[in-house]
Amino acid sequence: MCFKNLPIEFDAHGKPRLRSGEPDPFGTSRTIAASTDPALSRDKIEELLARNGHIKNVDFDPVTRVAGALAFHAVADLKAGTIVEARSMATLFRGYEVIMLGRDPRDAIFITSRACGVCGGVHSVTSAMACEMAFGVSPPPLGVVVRNMALAAEFLYDHPLHLFLLAGPDYSEAIVRQTNPELWERATRTSAPHAGLHGYRTVADIMTDMNPLTGKLYVEALHMTRVIREAYVLLCGKYPHPQTIVPGGMSTTLSTSTFNEFYLRLAQFFEYSKRVVPLWDDLCDFFYEANPAYKQVGARPKNLVDTGIWDHHDAYDATFANAGAWGDRRWATPGVIVDGELKTTDLHAINIGTEEFIEHSYYEGWDGGRFRTDPIGNPLSPYHPWNKETRPKPTGQNWREKYTWDTAPRWDRQAMEAGCYARLWNTAVAQKIASNPYIESTGQSLRLRLPAGSLPEMELEWKVPEVWNALERNRARAYCIPYTALVAMVNWVAALDLMKKGHTKVSTPFEVPKKGQQVGVGFWGAGRGWLTHHLEIQDGVIANYQILTPSTWNASPMDPWKRPGPYEEAVLNTPILETFSKQEDYKGIDILRTIRSFDPCMPCTTHIHTDHRVISREVTTCACGVDD
Amino acid sequence: MRVLIGGIGYLYLRDGSLGPAVVALLSRETWPPGVLVEDLSYGPVAVMQRLEDMKPPFDRLVLVGAVSRGRAAGAISVYRWTGPLPDETEIQARVGEAVTGVISLDNLLVVAGFFDTLPREVLVVEVEPQDEGWGEGFSPVIEAARNEVLAVVRQLACEGDVEVARA
Repeated sequence: MCFKNLPIEFDAHGKPRLRSGEPDPFGTSRTIAASTDPALSRDKIEELLARNGHIKNVDFDPVTRVAGALAFHAVADLKAGTIVEARSMATLFRGYEVIMLGRDPRDAIFITSRACGVCGGVHSVTSAMACEMAFGVSPPPLGVVVRNMALAAEFLYDHPLHLFLLAGPDYSEAIVRQTNPELWERATRTSAPHAGLHGYRTVADIMTDMNPLTGKLYVEALHMTRVIREAYVLLCGKYPHPQTIVPGGMSTTLSTSTFNEFYLRLAQFFEYSKRVVPLWDDLCDFFYEANPAYKQVGARPKNLVDTGIWDHHDAYDATFANAGAWGDRRWATPGVIVDGELKTTDLHAINIGTEEFIEHSYYEGWDGGRFRTDPIGNPLSPYHPWNKETRPKPTGQNWREKYTWDTAPRWDRQAMEAGCYARLWNTAVAQKIASNPYIESTGQSLRLRLPAGSLPEMELEWKVPEVWNALERNRARAYCIPYTALVAMVNWVAALDLMKKGHTKVSTPFEVPKKGQQVGVGFWGAGRGWLTHHLEIQDGVIANYQILTPSTWNASPMDPWKRPGPYEEAVLNTPILETFSKQEDYKGIDILRTIRSFDPCMPCTTHIHTDHRVISREVTTCACGVDD
Repeated sequence: MRVLIGGIGYLYLRDGSLGPAVVALLSRETWPPGVLVEDLSYGPVAVMQRLEDMKPPFDRLVLVGAVSRGRAAGAISVYRWTGPLPDETEIQARVGEAVTGVISLDNLLVVAGFFDTLPREVLVVEVEPQDEGWGEGFSPVIEAARNEVLAVVRQLACEGDVEVARA
């Protein structure tokens, strides 16, 4: 039994069904236990703000030009060092789901790609998968393998960006010296345990090279984005919005030269991993040793969700009926982890457990009765994406009612976190990954064997962490570089093998059905984790299209049960460890580290201000702008 | 003399697509040896890396695009980029935007300027847009300015530093 809160049980054959005797099975009136102590009421917060000088509004208000916007409101008790209120706000309605209506389903592949300026390819693939499920077409083996390689490359663009350009600068000398000078001083006299691997004698040396713009690690990450972008373009034609991803495979013409050129670039990430992973290990461990309270920064329950990604070319057939089987064969195992325990790896269960709520979002509700079941008869909630409709309605804007354009996705009515680390975690504990020379799932860890290059062969091991927090998100992200590179390697070997055997087809012809109703779903992932597109076609055009991204999960507002979304919950659990003598010097670095550890997909210009007066400067995607 | 003419903008954003549209037209013309016409709307960091690769480097870069600065719609501004950079916080902000997908003429100048990959002569042709909403085709005022933009870009590419200061 994987559901605790939804009215779904399983019969003796493991088939889900609605529990009998529930008059309103999916009603939201039933109480659901909170995973974190609930925040204070808004009335209480207002009373505290009025009465105490040390309790402050801390608002992070990013404004972005293109890809989305996140603002964050918190109330901090600067005396107690705690956060008493946290609200995550998506400040922009983008409307891709509305744009899709009435279009040829193939348009979605190219239009939804524009949802992101970093990872357009993932939307293209997810959309193509939804289409191929609806059209009844599946890619040939080489089409699957090349898709895997391309999307691994896209993630290898994303991971270094996060680690050294977006979240990394929060741990640089430039920031640590200002926000915690005592930590900087300690770092100067702390030897880096893995100096022999990454070449930095002290932790301070690492921090110095993480400085934005001038640090060697920052500049190197920028360079690595180029290396992998070139690899991606070899397969997809262009970055970030490929034109070569189609239902039924890829439209690229490939040769052994293409694969050789790809490998030359991929191999650089094996060497890069051998330095980056031990470096982040040293950095994370340093913070814990300096102050164990850092284990609480960004902490939240171990509740993670992921659809898995990278299909096995012998398994994927694009049918919904077989999704449980082909999902289990993925190079990243699908899964849901609740309180640290793997609940399921079944894509059908992951799908039926997913709902989206809008009680605190600028939308109005929908009837939700179109699909009582999924295509194989499993019960569906009226809040499930196949039933959801996007109806914008920006009214009732205040902290008590509605405060965001994001919805509140929940799995089994619990706030779940999406991230590439969920991919790592599920695969580590599920022990379902196919036997291969490079990646081994042990049940508690993932062993990653990197081939020799300019550096010798090396085994890295990501272990399921004891605590889940901002530092562990970043550490896991570092391990996602070798993991992703090795998935690309496994598929590269498979591609050459298929070519050798003469299986050179990369796509299967298809026709768009012109009559009747078809549904499909793309279960895939972005660099940041979970990505699904739920599609309904009616008489050849899109009747409904629902996109669920990792940041939709992570930035979600409170749900109908007044429980916070992941950013909100993690910030509420964050202690203020920053050093400051006057309130006006407070920069909010612990909150920023928390939010940025999730890699919010919201490139942004951020204004920070406290209580209408203290901080008002621009920062962009890192805290390097909080200085005077 | 090696000259690169680059358009910058987004496709299907009406006047915001002026840069790519202009270079699409210019790329069909015959140019003197050494003049290259490219759509540079693929991100400031990637463009910076492209410029870094050029051996020998370009002598002149002519950039063209629509930039909203509150001028009268259709106003054409032409200037020589002299390289003043904002403070490091702002530069980091521009790099952050660049790597996460923002296409911007200003960001390109800042990012490529900071990493010292711009040619020694950089000339910019900006047009004030009227409508940057979804769609194809320009607003009438930009449509009316288009031929003049093409002429200015041709002149700058071939003759370089001319008297071009405009409102």
